[in-house]
Amino acid sequence: MINVRKHEIYRYLGYSKRKQVEPTEEIDALIDECIQDLQKVITPQSVYKRLKLNWLDHETIEVSGMQVTSKSLAKNLAGCQEVFLFGATIGIGVDRLIKRAELTKMAKAAIYQATGAEMVECVCDELNEKLRQEVSQEGLFLKPRFSPGYGGTPLTLQRDFERILKMSSIGITLTDTCLMVPSKSVTAFIGITDKKTKSLSGCAACDQQDCPSRKE
Amino acid sequence: MALRDRLGKEWLFFDGGTGTILQDWGLGAGELPETWNLNHQDEIRKLAKGYFEAGSDIVNANTFGANRLKYPEHLEEIVRNAITLAKEGRHEAKRDEDGYVALDLGPTGKLLEPLGDLPFEKAIELYGEVVRIGASAGADLVLIETMTDAYEIKAAVLGAKENAQLPILVTVTFDEKGKLLTGATPETIVALLEGLGVDALGINCSLGPQQLMPIVKRMTELSSLPIIVNPNAGLPKSVNGKNVYDMHEDEFAQLMGEMAELPVQALGGCCGTTPSYIRKEIAEVRKHPFPKPTKKHHTFVTSFSTAVEIGTKPRIIGERINPTGKKKFKEALKNHDINYILSQGLAQEDAGADILDVNVGLPEIDEVSTLVEVVKELQSVTGLPLQIDTGNVEAIEKAMRIYNGKCMLNSVNGKRETMEAIFPIVKKYGAVVVALLLDEEGIPDNADKRIEIAKKIYATADEYGISHDDIVFDGLAMTVSSDPHSALVTLETIRRIRDELHGHSILGVSNISFGLPQRSILNANFFTMAMQNGLSCAIVNPNTKAMMDSYRAFNALMNYDTNFTDYIEAYANVESAPVPKNTASMSLYEAIKRGMSQNAAKATKLGLETKDGLTLINEELIPALDEVGQGFEKGTLFLPQLLMSAEAAKAAFGVVKESMADVEQDVKGRIILATVKGDIHDIGKNIVKVMLENYGFDVIDLGRDVDPEIIVETAIKENIRLVGLSALMTTTVVNMEETIRQLREKKPDTLICVGGAVMNQDYADEIGADAYCKDAMATVHYANKVFGIEE
Repeated sequence: MINVRKHEIYRYLGYSKRKQVEPTEEIDALIDECIQDLQKVITPQSVYKRLKLNWLDHETIEVSGMQVTSKSLAKNLAGCQEVFLFGATIGIGVDRLIKRAELTKMAKAAIYQATGAEMVECVCDELNEKLRQEVSQEGLFLKPRFSPGYGGTPLTLQRDFERILKMSSIGITLTDTCLMVPSKSVTAFIGITDKKTKSLSGCAACDQQDCPSRKE
Repeated sequence: MALRDRLGKEWLFFDGGTGTILQDWGLGAGELPETWNLNHQDEIRKLAKGYFEAGSDIVNANTFGANRLKYPEHLEEIVRNAITLAKEGRHEAKRDEDGYVALDLGPTGKLLEPLGDLPFEKAIELYGEVVRIGASAGADLVLIETMTDAYEIKAAVLGAKENAQLPILVTVTFDEKGKLLTGATPETIVALLEGLGVDALGINCSLGPQQLMPIVKRMTELSSLPIIVNPNAGLPKSVNGKNVYDMHEDEFAQLMGEMAELPVQALGGCCGTTPSYIRKEIAEVRKHPFPKPTKKHHTFVTSFSTAVEIGTKPRIIGERINPTGKKKFKEALKNHDINYILSQGLAQEDAGADILDVNVGLPEIDEVSTLVEVVKELQSVTGLPLQIDTGNVEAIEKAMRIYNGKCMLNSVNGKRETMEAIFPIVKKYGAVVVALLLDEEGIPDNADKRIEIAKKIYATADEYGISHDDIVFDGLAMTVSSDPHSALVTLETIRRIRDELHGHSILGVSNISFGLPQRSILNANFFTMAMQNGLSCAIVNPNTKAMMDSYRAFNALMNYDTNFTDYIEAYANVESAPVPKNTASMSLYEAIKRGMSQNAAKATKLGLETKDGLTLINEELIPALDEVGQGFEKGTLFLPQLLMSAEAAKAAFGVVKESMADVEQDVKGRIILATVKGDIHDIGKNIVKVMLENYGFDVIDLGRDVDPEIIVETAIKENIRLVGLSALMTTTVVNMEETIRQLREKKPDTLICVGGAVMNQDYADEIGADAYCKDAMATVHYANKVFGIEE
């Protein structure tokens, strides 16, 4: 059971408070129905490791054999000597439900898609909070999450996440093209720092200005 | 002494953790453990030696993650070294005579098709290759372990079976709810593995001994095979970002002693356990008398997640996936309209079917490939087990091979030749077999002879080592109007199958009423009589109210329906369902705008009484769709509403089409849609498809992960003017570009529009598309433009 934020589901579906368009009663009932359906099939899981972060130069980091040269990742992890890598998923049930709804009621497929996205986000937030508490006991702080693909980083980093975290143990697998299955899965870096940062989080931290899901 | 001679006859002990020990010895995070077979051989040998010395009878070679995907190079060397080093460790421990080295196989790390992208046959080959190397290097058995997906388990077992003669032991990993990651229960796993004929089965990793006990207990009640339990040293605790298992070895041993009495026959450990744990565990377990496994009698038909037990209460097998006498279904088969077939399955599931019969036999089509495709697709959208229904032996073999679970097979009969052709396949893959009580001499007209044939079938099954539990006899419901005794004979047969043979029965119930009026009255009453006489399974149409009424009433009265749950769910609200306000006379326009499918269909029927179909479409349906479409574009309403309206329009179209069945349908244009190679998420493409179809376009949907060559071929073959391509990730845009390149080269007059999460106008220009369509409505507009349709 995940406590979803309905306004986030609305947002994924395109509704926005700013434009003052809200779902109709029928759609809202359908969204509730879809949330219930999903609650029955999800199997939230996560896996993480706390690892040493090596700086090879000002734009290149190395973690357990994974090397990344990226301005935006370097910026995100600036000042960190340690990093969490994590993977989280709500399981394969949502993918089956989407496939099924595509045959029977396409509107539900779209809503499952949005609700699933919100649910995996909740799993990440919960894990994030747990990690925050873990490091705060040592007087340390966390940077915002940074996922492979952000800021132009290559999706092939998923292979390193797979190797380092053994993600198949929680059911996250990769296609040959580095897409995650189940589709509602997330991997990310979270930098560990000794300075309290005011750095941006979520959408505000991302450079991709034209992202369709970007929050205003 | 051969392992098979000891399994289930005496205590056998496994080793404990590998990864956790290697980490203590310096294996880095992210370092692949199997590489130590090349560069840390002393440690790997020492690991095996330690466990053999501690008393483990079966020790894993360090091959858990070894397969061609993870080790494109050096695979042979890695596997060979692992076996050799384990054998050397065994020798040093002086256990050559009574110790066994297991070729250890874990998950591939990929999810199988159709939800993932690893083809089933490829998975079998990945495992098969390792088994060939391991067997030739001298492994004594294959241990398939830490498995989390039923389909991958089946692939691994087939890979082992088809490439070596070694004993096959399988342990899986359950979560605390007693399920595998992809949903399988202990029932599903036991049925699958016993069906595949493994030598022993059980659980490893997952949890600590305490948490595992209820799940292990359940497995011991279900399985006749020796049970293996290799738990972790308690639940993991996170210390500095590392998983630590810290149950004390005395406590572990104590709990494993209790575990032994459940009863299980083989024990060891997993993460966090060491030779010292195993030594204490063995000492503790040996204090208990060895419990031999006992024969259990269950009949399970399973999917990847669900097990349906036959014999506990009557089961409904949905008969609607079958072309016999169904014009629409035949059309769908000829047009390769798989979605129509799938929706027939889902409707039956919603109506209460337990199992779906799948029959796609039609002279005009290739039954073998169609059956395989339909089975694959069905098992990606429904959790119901399937009954494969064909007489074509090749189709049986191929469909049973790719089936994800233990299926039901319809059918064999008392003819020697049929049984000889089909029983070996059943023995290899496992299935519950429907056996028709007829033989070379035809269908007997009396129960005595039918029972005699049943006994003959049992005897033949014995020859093949197929359990009587896996046979369900079809008592043969024959048309009562052509022989007034036939119902009585069938009922007597069913009753005697239960009382004399203690077996299971099945009937195609509605056969009874051919040629008589109001068939559902006879069918429903005969159904009740048959259930009363012990019928275990009924092949019926679950969409027929009368049949399901009989079924639910029978279960309620026989105390098969705990708390009347099913009965109440089906009937409690029938009388009092409120009529939604203002919908009684809702116009078609309104119904589509509000996205109400049933009302749209109703309004269309009503409208057709005064207007013809085309007028209705042009005056109400299209204007309503347009209004919704414009609202979507302006941002005053959003995707779910657009789709609801599209579905309502589809329902209305369906009614109009039926009314004009003889009139040539007007198609605006034919369009190919595909999600490009490498991309497996296709909801966006499917939304576009719904909208295009709504606006009268004929869409050829090639699906997802589609090779450029297939798109080009189809475009040429069908002479297509417009192709729509979707890509979700930057990694797959290259394949979109390649598809465009090939289309330009081989079918230059075809226009190409593209869309998908990563697409934008610049990107579309860069890869040479003709248009970027940002959403479904934009695609509709572009299609209208291409085909010269005024908006």
